[in-house]
Amino acid sequence: MMRVLIIEDEARIANRLERITRSFFEGNLSVVEICDSLQKGLDYIENHPIDLLLLDLNLNGENGFDMLGSVVAGSFHTIIVSAYTDKAITAFNYGVLDFVAKPFDQARLEMAFRRISNITKGVEREIKFLAVKKAGTVRLIDISELHYIKGAGIYSELHLQNGKQELHDKSLEKLQQLLPNTFERIHRSYLVSLAMAERILIQPGGRYGLLLKTGETLPVGRYRYKDLKDKLI
Amino acid sequence: MQRLFFLLAILPVMVSCKSGIVYQDYPEVYQNGDSNLWANKIYDDSKWAHDQIAGTGDVFWVRQRIEILENPVTIAGVQIHAFGAFQVYWDGVLIGVNGKIPTENSAEIPGTEATCYSLPDSLSRAGVHVLALRASQSYLTKEQRGIYAKMDLYKNLLTQPLIITSLMNLMSGAFLIASLYYFFLYFNSSKRQLTILIFAVICLLFFTLLILEYIKFYIDIPYTEFFTRLEAIGILTMIIAVLVPLYFTIQFHFKWKKLLLGILATTLLVVYVFNYRHFDRNAQLYSILMWIASTMVVLNAIWQREKGALLVLAGLLSSVVVHQYLVYDFGLFISFTIIVLCMLYLHTIRSRAIEDQYHSSLLLSSRLQLELVKKNIQPHFIKNTLTSLIDWVEESPKQGAEFIHALAAEFDIMNTISESVLIPVRQEIELCKTHLTVMQFRKEINYQWEEYEVDDSEYIPPALVHTLLENGITHSMPMSDGRIRFCLRFLKTEKYRQYTFETKAQNRTPLRQGKGGTGFRYIQARLTESYGDNWEFFSENSPNGWLSTIKIYNK
Repeated sequence: MMRVLIIEDEARIANRLERITRSFFEGNLSVVEICDSLQKGLDYIENHPIDLLLLDLNLNGENGFDMLGSVVAGSFHTIIVSAYTDKAITAFNYGVLDFVAKPFDQARLEMAFRRISNITKGVEREIKFLAVKKAGTVRLIDISELHYIKGAGIYSELHLQNGKQELHDKSLEKLQQLLPNTFERIHRSYLVSLAMAERILIQPGGRYGLLLKTGETLPVGRYRYKDLKDKLI
Repeated sequence: MQRLFFLLAILPVMVSCKSGIVYQDYPEVYQNGDSNLWANKIYDDSKWAHDQIAGTGDVFWVRQRIEILENPVTIAGVQIHAFGAFQVYWDGVLIGVNGKIPTENSAEIPGTEATCYSLPDSLSRAGVHVLALRASQSYLTKEQRGIYAKMDLYKNLLTQPLIITSLMNLMSGAFLIASLYYFFLYFNSSKRQLTILIFAVICLLFFTLLILEYIKFYIDIPYTEFFTRLEAIGILTMIIAVLVPLYFTIQFHFKWKKLLLGILATTLLVVYVFNYRHFDRNAQLYSILMWIASTMVVLNAIWQREKGALLVLAGLLSSVVVHQYLVYDFGLFISFTIIVLCMLYLHTIRSRAIEDQYHSSLLLSSRLQLELVKKNIQPHFIKNTLTSLIDWVEESPKQGAEFIHALAAEFDIMNTISESVLIPVRQEIELCKTHLTVMQFRKEINYQWEEYEVDDSEYIPPALVHTLLENGITHSMPMSDGRIRFCLRFLKTEKYRQYTFETKAQNRTPLRQGKGGTGFRYIQARLTESYGDNWEFFSENSPNGWLSTIKIYNK
């Protein structure tokens, strides 16, 4: 069941977003909430779990791009709905699911919604950073520093270049939707940067493993082996 | 500057011109009375007085022996400086007259102070000669100046003043042109600057001074008026001595202007009164006082880091050098010229600054125009409006059409006013009202416009209230009854006109506290553009919401 938050200060547009959301998700929707300021929206996120955020970044004369980091660090997907098309690339860099330029029609918004349930990558991903919340502040991690991600329930563990680990609020599935094609899901719990893959190990008992350049070995899912093999060659 | 160097180079040459005749003169002797014999070369004047005897207006004689040591190469001449009217005899021969000595029937016709006479060839060979004057001094009888005779080649006596005058006229011509130019500049300028006027006056006075100083060479001034000219020169010098420092105090933003100029003027007057009739000495003193005052201002300017101050100081110092090493007449004028050139240079610096200011104001005006035009095409406005519009058209086409009309109306007004600097208040209000209609479609909030005592004959810069209205819409939440009210009030007093604009609503709490956004900067820039510094703008919380005040002072 989807819980959707709309942050938009234009009443008419907020209502339109709500209407299209309701018609798209139909019975699959449990809550649609509208907030008319960033502050109200952030307060709401603080107290209510959500699955999807529709966000206008320019509200009441305030530039919301500064807040983008803390929003995308959340466990939910974010779709930006904005008049400022020139900010689209920045938004994608931060790892938003989609950027819908105003004025939009129903079809364009539904296309964005479809990305939520669609794991296969459609568009060229522009993501450059993963925003991680840590001790109240937001830290941006460069994608190039990322070796692999291990799913840990509703969270994910980011394993980085320097051997450090960070926790991300988004699930492995959601991160996979955001990350570029150079990241391959090799296992139910592992998403790996192909640049880090050394070779595939075939281990006793018909199990497969992926040897990384760092010397670590990660398990490879039985039915993902073929895909991985194709990509490594 | 080149002209100045040329003058500097040529003047010492001229000043040191030696006489073309080698001669020796003996003290002149005086005798009251009249006798034709006294003109003779051979006459025993050993009992005559050595000083001019207090005149009664009657005829008196002056004799002076002059010994020519070498035969002159060409025609010799003699120059005589004296007060009165006289006949000049050389070795008993009448060689010229100056004015007319009184007779029983007619009064004296005053001669001029300086005159030149050519000598007959035969009477200017080497040897002793006698210059005799049959003279009268009916006027200014207290001025016992005696006579002073100087010998030179006749040609030199005539050409030397010519050379000096030509150079000085060159200079004064330049000042006349400068003066006329700056007068025209001042009277045709839209922003009249006092410094330009002062500079024009200084140039004019300086032109007059130079003309007066050298007019003696081409106009015969009766000796009775001799002091009138000197008096005029003194007064001109005195006025210049006040105006030059005044100019510097303005250009260099001197703080104690009145004090300094007060002291200067007083000192000048004191010198004038206590040193009455010491013309040359006084002119010297005036220029020294002027120099001291100017230097004080310039030193202060250097301390204040004013542009051009160092150059002016250099000019002032070099004027001292010139003054020290040249004979008074030239020295004074050249040092004045240097100072005036400094002022001219300073003036060009200021003009440049004003030019830059003007360009930046033009730039500002076009930037403001752009800002205004941008209001309706900036993405936030246009895209949000279009998005709402799509929704209205899809959901209720009839109201969608109304929305489009309102938008078109706002665009129309914007288009009309975009290039104006001031627009009628009514037009501004119409703009606000159409904007409210548009925003009502977008925000679905009940906006209400109220106005009190607005005077339709008033003009204001475009989109001032519109900008306040936009801010009001952006930063307010409706009251519990779902309304936001905007209230414009106008107040006119003798001193100022005031617009107050109040948004009656709940204020949103901003994420960050900013110090006025681009909107405020736009308002302030527009007010400056039209009213200079004669305005005030406040914007603050009020019990009802938000209150902005624009106060425009009459002057």
